[in-house]
Amino acid sequence: MLWVVVLMSALAQVGVVHWHRVLLQVWQQEDALRAQLLQEHTRLLLEKSTLTAHGRIDQQARKQLNMTEPGKVQVLSQ
Amino acid sequence: MNAQPNQETTLSGITRWRFTLVLVVFGCLLAAVLVRLVMLHTVDQPFLFEQGEKRTVREEVQPAMRGMITDRYGKPLAVSTPVVTLWLNPQQVNVQQLPAVATDLGLSTRELVRKVERAASQGRSFLYIKRQVQPELAQQVLKRRIAGIYGDDDFRRFYPAAEVTAHTVGIVDVDGNGQEGLELAFDEFLQGSEGSRQVVKDLYGNVIKQLKVNAVPKPGGDLALTLDLRLQYLAYRELKAAVSQHNAKSGSAVLVDARSGDVLALVNQPSYNPNNRASLRAENMRNRAIADLIEPGSTIKPFTVAAALSSGRYFPGSEINTAPGYVRVKNKTIRDHRNYGVLDITGVITKSSNVGVTYLAHQLGAENIWSFFSKAGIGQATVLGFPGEAVGSLPYPEQMDALRLATVSYGYGLSVSPLQLAHAYTSFTQGGCRNPVRLLMNNQPQTECQRVMPAKVARQVLDMLETVTSKQGTGSRARVAGYRVGGKTGTAHKVGQQGYEDSEYTAVFSGIAPISSPDLVLVVVIDSPQGKEYYGGEVAAPVFSRIMQQALRLRQVAPDDGSVPALQMAGGPA
Repeated sequence: MLWVVVLMSALAQVGVVHWHRVLLQVWQQEDALRAQLLQEHTRLLLEKSTLTAHGRIDQQARKQLNMTEPGKVQVLSQ
Repeated sequence: MNAQPNQETTLSGITRWRFTLVLVVFGCLLAAVLVRLVMLHTVDQPFLFEQGEKRTVREEVQPAMRGMITDRYGKPLAVSTPVVTLWLNPQQVNVQQLPAVATDLGLSTRELVRKVERAASQGRSFLYIKRQVQPELAQQVLKRRIAGIYGDDDFRRFYPAAEVTAHTVGIVDVDGNGQEGLELAFDEFLQGSEGSRQVVKDLYGNVIKQLKVNAVPKPGGDLALTLDLRLQYLAYRELKAAVSQHNAKSGSAVLVDARSGDVLALVNQPSYNPNNRASLRAENMRNRAIADLIEPGSTIKPFTVAAALSSGRYFPGSEINTAPGYVRVKNKTIRDHRNYGVLDITGVITKSSNVGVTYLAHQLGAENIWSFFSKAGIGQATVLGFPGEAVGSLPYPEQMDALRLATVSYGYGLSVSPLQLAHAYTSFTQGGCRNPVRLLMNNQPQTECQRVMPAKVARQVLDMLETVTSKQGTGSRARVAGYRVGGKTGTAHKVGQQGYEDSEYTAVFSGIAPISSPDLVLVVVIDSPQGKEYYGGEVAAPVFSRIMQQALRLRQVAPDDGSVPALQMAGGPA
């Protein structure tokens, strides 16, 4: 009887160790993915802030869209 | 048969004693093995266990991501991004494989090989190849699976606005510790806490078992500043242009929200690029708007006048005789530019009459001037929690004799930082009640404002300040088309080795716009402008005008001078 219990606990031990490793592997993969996404996120954040920089928008509005500051004469009509 | 009869033999004819001997020898061997086994399991066990662990168990540190610093609308000013630090173990690495690594990373092959060989000969087992490498590049190197080359997770700090916000945001060192500015002041908050865990690693450095988690990494908190990046950009651009145009030593500009006391822009020249550590120079890194003290010169006069009006003894129309254009106090002569004759209080501000404010200060006495100035925040710390924040100085009443009192009334003999000056000017804009300045969005709630002067006096001073930018005033070049603006010019002699220098000046302009309903307070300080122009009205006022014009437009403040008819959208509601 005791032998059976010992045997079963030994088998369970092996199973648990295996399970632990599988979980660890999954976790590591997810963690790597998280790091990758984080990096992507900050990269996009920096890119966005460069593209929306005030000076750049100002320049593009003037050069590409021919916009100017509002003068004294204002005619707004449809 | 020559067998000896007295010797016993076993069944197979072997002498009994030989059999016993063999048994004993085997028994001894068995015992030896047993003893060794027991020894290993008991006496030597701790040592062996430790040695085993040393070879497989690793303490792994997981760096925490440093918090972001943003402006008031969430635009990033400082961001950490994951990178990889590559290092190698000179004992394990094969020098033949290094050239490939060097070309991947753009390093000099000879240099790297030389460094590795020297480290190996010194018996070292750690050498940085390159720190903070882009993750893609690091993966490329690590994919080569060269024994002895490892990569650790790390973070690198980027400053998207670079030199525009460098002084306020500050800088971190290569290990991610704050060195300057808010990065230093809020280092602990931004840093978060590192995680650490115990793992079992195989020969290739793969984690195969996690034994224990000592600490879970906690990312640092985000810091939102009250700065508005758009205003910051344009203030920086205009200040930089002015500093280089006048060949000045340095300059600062501080833009404060007139209603809430939020710092909207805070720029200095010269600046530095925090993304490039190689170019750092200590003198460029000082946040002059907060850490440097200036003698404010005439920009203090509105406070002397406001003190006089608050006393109830004077009114904007009260007349003062400033003839003959100078007055002798003790053994010093205080002069005006020319003899202005009889001026009313408004005229004293418009013409910036030293004689006029001296008269007012002498009438009020040192006690009154001191208490009014300190209520307005002159010579009082602004308490932003910024490293190196200057307190300024204001002499106590008992330190002020007649001459000192006179000089204090027109801005000499006391010192303020440009930020303090801007803060003091908000006393006029908030109906005489001053809110504390804020640089961080999240330190709510707003504390109660401090009453500096009655609301009526604040209004009167605002109207006086507007006359300074009129055609006859000293600050006519500060005008902004479409808006009523007010302010005060200041030109202070700089202090040198032997007292005040004759030809070194600080040009200051401190102003408010629009006057009808103040929205912004801006202080511009240009230090040591060279050339013919050096007055505050000539050097600092045009900068004020340019920054204010664009800032008011960006903040969509309606023009208030009546020259621009109110816009009406066609087809929209009237």
